[in-house]
Amino acid sequence: MSKIKYLKSLLETKEISCVELTKKYLNSIEKQNNIINAYVNVTVEEAIKTAKKVDEKIAAGEKLMPLEGIPMSRKDNISTKNIETTCCSKMLQGYYPIYDATVWKILQDQNSVLLGKTNMDEFAMGSSCESSIYGATLNPHNTDYVAGGSSGGAAASVKGNMAAFGLGSDTGGSIRQPASFCGLVGFKPTYGTVSRYGVVAYASSLDQVGPITNSVEDAAIVYDCLSLFDPKDATSIGSKISTVDKLNSSIKGLKIGIAEEYFEGINEDIKSSIDEAIKAYEDAGAQIIHFQMPKLHAVLPVYFIISCAEASSNLGRFDGIRYGYKTDSYKDIEEMICKNRSEGFGKEVQRRMLLGTYVLSSGYYDAYYKKAQNLRYSIIQDFKKIFESCDVILTPSVPVTAFKKGEALIDPIATYMMDICTVPVNIAGLPAISVPCGFDRNKMPIGMQLIGNSFEDYKVLNAAYQYEKQTKNIGETSSYPEVEI
Amino acid sequence: MSYELVAGLETHIELSTNTKIFCQCTTAFGGEPNTHCCPICMGMPGTLPKLNKKVVEYAVKAGIAVNCKIRNISKMDRKNYVYPDLPKAYQISQFDKPICYEGYIKLSSGKSIDINRIHIEEDAGKLIHERGGTYIDYNRGGVPLIEIVTEPDFRSIDEVLEYLEKLRLIMKYIGVSDVKMQEGSLRCDVNISVRKKGEEKLGIRTEIKNMNSLNFIAKAMEYEFERHVDILESGGKIEQETRRYDSELNITESMRGKEDADDYRYFRDPDLVNINVSEEEINRLKDELPQLPDEKMHVFMNVYGIPKDDAELLIKYKKIAEYFEEASKDIKNKKLASNYILGQIFRRLPTDWEKEECGISIPPEYLSELISLIESKKITSSMASTALEKMLDSGKSVREFISENDMQGIDDDVLKEICMRAVSENQEAVKSYLGGKEKAFSSIIGYIMKETKGKADPQKAAEIVKEIIN
Amino acid sequence: MIKKDEVLKMAKLAKLSVDENEIEQLIEDMSKIIEYADSINNVAETVDVEFDNINNIVNAFNEDIVLDSYDRDEILKNREGGENGYFVIRKSIRG
Repeated sequence: MSKIKYLKSLLETKEISCVELTKKYLNSIEKQNNIINAYVNVTVEEAIKTAKKVDEKIAAGEKLMPLEGIPMSRKDNISTKNIETTCCSKMLQGYYPIYDATVWKILQDQNSVLLGKTNMDEFAMGSSCESSIYGATLNPHNTDYVAGGSSGGAAASVKGNMAAFGLGSDTGGSIRQPASFCGLVGFKPTYGTVSRYGVVAYASSLDQVGPITNSVEDAAIVYDCLSLFDPKDATSIGSKISTVDKLNSSIKGLKIGIAEEYFEGINEDIKSSIDEAIKAYEDAGAQIIHFQMPKLHAVLPVYFIISCAEASSNLGRFDGIRYGYKTDSYKDIEEMICKNRSEGFGKEVQRRMLLGTYVLSSGYYDAYYKKAQNLRYSIIQDFKKIFESCDVILTPSVPVTAFKKGEALIDPIATYMMDICTVPVNIAGLPAISVPCGFDRNKMPIGMQLIGNSFEDYKVLNAAYQYEKQTKNIGETSSYPEVEI
Repeated sequence: MSYELVAGLETHIELSTNTKIFCQCTTAFGGEPNTHCCPICMGMPGTLPKLNKKVVEYAVKAGIAVNCKIRNISKMDRKNYVYPDLPKAYQISQFDKPICYEGYIKLSSGKSIDINRIHIEEDAGKLIHERGGTYIDYNRGGVPLIEIVTEPDFRSIDEVLEYLEKLRLIMKYIGVSDVKMQEGSLRCDVNISVRKKGEEKLGIRTEIKNMNSLNFIAKAMEYEFERHVDILESGGKIEQETRRYDSELNITESMRGKEDADDYRYFRDPDLVNINVSEEEINRLKDELPQLPDEKMHVFMNVYGIPKDDAELLIKYKKIAEYFEEASKDIKNKKLASNYILGQIFRRLPTDWEKEECGISIPPEYLSELISLIESKKITSSMASTALEKMLDSGKSVREFISENDMQGIDDDVLKEICMRAVSENQEAVKSYLGGKEKAFSSIIGYIMKETKGKADPQKAAEIVKEIIN
Repeated sequence: MIKKDEVLKMAKLAKLSVDENEIEQLIEDMSKIIEYADSINNVAETVDVEFDNINNIVNAFNEDIVLDSYDRDEILKNREGGENGYFVIRKSIRG
């Protein structure tokens, strides 16, 4: 069940001290990380320091906060003051933020134990962590395969028993896809409910931070802590609803929407897993409603145009003048900036920046960016209409299971098409969760996605929780080698 | 001259809010480099902007004050370009939905200069170029600006200067900016083109930057106008470009390097949300505006009877105008107040700065009291002038220097007696006067003034003396 | 097919330098992706709408109250303290 609650009970009953618990995780990391490559920065001192604080509180008989003393990991695009934050890019190697991201502040205030920063695709652009300067992250479920991306490190840290929960970020599926590949729960909240302040921006109108956990309840616990209004983020609303309290609501009569378009071309194993999940829901009293989403295929190019455009603008600030990578020779300032950027950024990032520049440039703005925004608006209206007759939508998380290392698709279009199920969620700012729902013939995990209406995160978590309870499809950990916690 | 000058202005005004536009660092001028900065105005990775409410209020006020329409829904856009003084590599500005549009300022000739738009944007940092390198101070980065863009309505340099003086004064009056060109809180770029007189089509324009005083603007425009004419006369073509004014050499030079018509790739900033200004809000801000310079001019001239030149001088300094209004509130002869201010008082405030700050040592009530005494004939104007000097020296009221006694004035009989005495004591002067020397008369009056310690009314005395003599 | 000079123009705007030996592949990749992006034009209806914040938030403002700025040392931290309090860019550096 809930790992967080389990660990909390161990701490509260003093069966294990926080320092000991932390050391167990650090030990697990030490044993596995050079193979799995989940962590790019293990913050041993910081972790022990926090753990000691928690132990003092326990000794003083004080009540612990929801995430107090829980060892966790954070994606390396979330700013941590005085702790290197690299976004796994040469551009930010050696960059130390001078301020904390709000989501980190919240957890710090709760004395969550930061074990370290996790691997990601460079600047969150990718689906396998292979574009990271630190190399790919392997899937602890089977290390022949990758953990996915761009929050691959976060997922691997949880799967490999190297963290009780991880924080990732999701712009087009970057939490849900690695969760699906690793057989874990990955939750992307409604846009605006979790602060973006301090999260290095990829696409500002799409990014959200969310938890990767072993169970739905853990995701709910973390989300409830993080979903506070942040005055520093003009797009922040926060959420006042306790999703944990609503997990046990009955799903009898829950209306679950299914659209054929999401299932086009997915492999058999995934199809049958999802079918089983649908059946499980029907058995629990939910009602299946079929609808159509004809614009689904347009969502990908819309996503692509908007995310590249925003990214090209967000990444303009990396010129090496105030922080970041500096080239060692240049003949004038113009050349300096170009070299800093061309040498500091990886190929995929550069390609997306060029494309983003292109779709915003005069002459092309109307045909691409403006058109994409208009289409985005109409897709949002489509979803609004669907949610008039459905509570949640059920889709596969990803049309495939994890691929083998080095086998990531060369063809960029085919790669982007892997995001077909996850991307519409970001375009419309909706909440969505990926939960494990089975395995394929190679015993690799399959993920099912539930999408909710804006600000109905509680419904999504509730539906996912009931499924988990019913089928006992929990996000197990598998560590290599086995580590006992 | 068969050529006509056509110009339009883009004026940047630094708003005098306490904090920067998207963060809460101070906007205080000066300060050691990079000491007024935070992660947000430094554009550090992960930071987000949030709009300062006062900036919107000031921008709306500025728009109302120059007769603009106010947009109920406006947004902020990103203007993308890379330059070392721009930390985010984009300036947050307003592109196609500026908060104010379609306004005007009327010149004294009655001509209207149309204002196309006023929009909100953030300032960049400061670059200092030295031999070894470029030094950057980001204190100014994020300071709020409004940009006021006119139509190409100017036809002479004088019109430009008048517009800028008027604009400056209006902004000063409504309190949204210090508008000091020398400090950079008012910056002006000029777009200039020429065409043959009578032509309707506009010539190719060039933009001139880097003029930090009205004098330099005039000189730069003169130079550029000539340069355009020279090129056209010799059959050449004007190149559309941005040029930098060099005040030492008094020339403009091409700013090659900053050109290449940067494609700014404007798009709505996704980190910010729309700005909704309701009609109620606009009316509330309108009510908060003080009386504007033009209105005051009208009142001073047509209601108070102040001559135009004097009124202009009073209006020129907002605090002086307010002092004048306060001082002349309860008196009839407001021109008298004006005279004292523009005369004796201004002599003690020789610089513009001193006049701006209105460092008058006596409160307006004291001046008002002095003038009331003149109006009720309790003291004469020469007594008043003397007293005023003492008042200004000491900061004290007139009653410290002229007692009740002195204010009695001179009895008519007593005056007549003194006048007769004056005539008899000054027979020489009387003779001279009767002989045609007008000047001799004043020495007689002078004697009377001395005898009465200045209390006599010179005009009355003169009448009596003339009567006696004749 | 995107033209070479367009790619170079984009590179200049984005302040990226493109190697001669990479440019062909880049043009090919970019063209493929742009062609794919073109498919949005196959969707019939589009309403011309000014895109708002997705949750329709308006008027998110700061009050005009001064907060302490950061210490200069912090601001210059990632550039080893700068020079006399300034960020500095040398005009050129020989490798």
